[in-house]
Amino acid sequence: MRKISIVAFGAAVALALAGCAAAEPAGSDGEAEGAEIRVWLVGADTPQEARDYLKETFEDENPGSTLVIEEQAWGGLVDKLTTALSGSDSPDVVEVGNTQAAAFTTAGAFLDITDEYDALGGDDLLPGFVEAGSVGDAFFAAPYYSGARVVFYDTALYEELGLEVPTTLDEYIANGQAIAEAKPGVSGIYFPGQDWYNALPYIWENGGDIATLDGDEWVPALSTDGSIAGLEMVQEVMTTASVAPKDGNEAEAQVPYCAGQIGHLSAPSWFKWSILAPADAEAPGCPEREASLGVFALPGLDGGPAQVFAGGSNIAVSANSANPELAKKALAIMLSDEYQSILGGAGLVPALTSLGDTVGTDATAQAIAQAASNAKLTPASPAWAEVEASGVLQDFFVKIAQGGDVADLAAETDARIAEILNP
Amino acid sequence: MAVAPLGTRAAPTSATAGPPANLPGDRERDRDRDRIARRDRRGRRVVALTPAMLLIPATAVLLVIIGWPLVQLLVISFQEFGRAQVFGAPAPFVGFDNYADVLGDATFWEVLGRSILFAAANVILAMGLGTLVALLMTRLARALRLLVSVGLLLAWAMPALTAVVVWGWMFDTQFGVINYLLSQLPGVDMIGHSWLIDPLSFFGVATVIITWQSVPFVAFTIYAGLTQVPTEVLEAAQLDGANGFARFRFIVFPYLKSIFLVVTILQVIWDMRVFTQIYALQGIGGIREQTSTIGVYIYQVSVGSGDFAAGGAIAVILVVIMMAISAYYVRASIKEEQL
Repeated sequence: MRKISIVAFGAAVALALAGCAAAEPAGSDGEAEGAEIRVWLVGADTPQEARDYLKETFEDENPGSTLVIEEQAWGGLVDKLTTALSGSDSPDVVEVGNTQAAAFTTAGAFLDITDEYDALGGDDLLPGFVEAGSVGDAFFAAPYYSGARVVFYDTALYEELGLEVPTTLDEYIANGQAIAEAKPGVSGIYFPGQDWYNALPYIWENGGDIATLDGDEWVPALSTDGSIAGLEMVQEVMTTASVAPKDGNEAEAQVPYCAGQIGHLSAPSWFKWSILAPADAEAPGCPEREASLGVFALPGLDGGPAQVFAGGSNIAVSANSANPELAKKALAIMLSDEYQSILGGAGLVPALTSLGDTVGTDATAQAIAQAASNAKLTPASPAWAEVEASGVLQDFFVKIAQGGDVADLAAETDARIAEILNP
Repeated sequence: MAVAPLGTRAAPTSATAGPPANLPGDRERDRDRDRIARRDRRGRRVVALTPAMLLIPATAVLLVIIGWPLVQLLVISFQEFGRAQVFGAPAPFVGFDNYADVLGDATFWEVLGRSILFAAANVILAMGLGTLVALLMTRLARALRLLVSVGLLLAWAMPALTAVVVWGWMFDTQFGVINYLLSQLPGVDMIGHSWLIDPLSFFGVATVIITWQSVPFVAFTIYAGLTQVPTEVLEAAQLDGANGFARFRFIVFPYLKSIFLVVTILQVIWDMRVFTQIYALQGIGGIREQTSTIGVYIYQVSVGSGDFAAGGAIAVILVVIMMAISAYYVRASIKEEQL
């Protein structure tokens, strides 16, 4: 009998140990004193100053509680949020890309914060982003910041080759080709194959689109005449002006820029800080080249700023947050004038429209303002995040960069996008 | 029927042998016989119960950690289960719809065929190279053998993701050392060559990474087996004029057959469900659609595009295929043992 009881004890221990992993955290409803709030910020976009301000302010206002910022990567974010938010140890406050927000608001992953709408800023909040974070009249994800894409360029190269700042999209492409021709091994316009965000202006400027809503049905539009004209332009730039990897992505573009291999780089406005990062930073840049770093808003086909992708983020409280009241307080700090002004100072367009002038008045700020004035969004479908996550657009533009037949590829991609958007 | 008289004859002898015995030697013999009889009568139950009890803890852990998720997976594969269901929406049952969709999808068959070819190539390479390294280790002097062992161990101990990142840098299009070194050869200009954009070349790089990490396990296991092959048999064969290949083919291989079998099954299973290396490599370059293997495809369908039901169905189909492959080998190895 002693043997049997040892075996039984072993089984009981094994079960208890296995049970621990699945156990719910105790007291998930109670607002624990000294709770820890976990905030997920994505990428390096949020400046360190803002992070410090958030942590200090929150911990001053809520004595005994702590706030931890956990930085996530943009790649694979949708997958990661799906698993993290549905789990029992969900982060409390999460940042999500504005085009990805709908996937989570419609799934019930975020806490309903309709009651907080006025306190968070009300009608002062960026309207397009409020829409991205709402389902009907219910408000789930507040705007965090907006960041338009601007073009960084090497003024030293411009002087050497006698180029002038372009006023139309065609001039821009011509400048890129001129640089690529004069300087072998340098991308006149840096355009890695996976960088589909930067292909959107060419499509939109030519009157095309990815998909349009007809009734309740999404009609794919990459095969329309306008889109094809834009895609052919993209292919021309990729094959004649860029020596970037045909299957590469846009991350870490500061490395080739700092190596002197890029003439024009179209990137989110905050990317300036990645290029100018100190040499001893984790991802070093080249601060010594600040003097030759120029910036302009991508010009449109007929002059004026082009329709660029309106990137940015929303911020929300997880429906599974253990401390929703504290999480809402953290959210309120992130939408406060002080916090948003720090974001503005770092070249991000603040979530509060009244703080628009905090972006400043230098060349970068002007370029940001111009680009933002004509920025556009991807199709507003809850399934759009799935199009992004499936990698279908990355595959599409890699094949275009390889010199594939644009019309055939567009038809093929249209079919796949239609399948995802109309399940 | 022929057994019955034997039984009836045996019963009276054991019954009569017990009580009337008086001599101490007799009593001892009786006790012995008694014990044997008890074991005979109850033996089967006693023997069957103890191992079963000993298996309970391991079984319980397996059931909780692997069995429960497997049941969940099976249930999900028969439901409509998307992102909304992850966050608590009701999940209606849809019968075999998910399976019909998956099996009717040309992409699934393409991915499955690609995975099988890729796994086959990797298993053959890893087994071949691993065996050669193991044979080499038996010939090496002690110091050199230690050096080779350490090298193998380091490759094996490296986390898969780290390995992919490091190899990814080496094969980098713009700044990779491989392109740089190749370009040092006269007349070769590989700067800007993308190793991942062509699917065949992509799988070449993936094969290098995966084989590099599988060879150590194969080599160590087979080396351990090789030390158990009796040297006198090998010497005798050598005296009879058998060359190295013949000695391996007719002596070493039959001795190590079961080891080869187990290692091959493990390699097949590992290479069929490979995930990390392919997924991470796709982030570095290449075209996802042309390079997904079944593990990555399940992830893309379920977690990536939020269709957990279809992903579950593919996973269940993969489980069935894997079980069929291993069942064949397990049966073969059981037959082997019985001979």
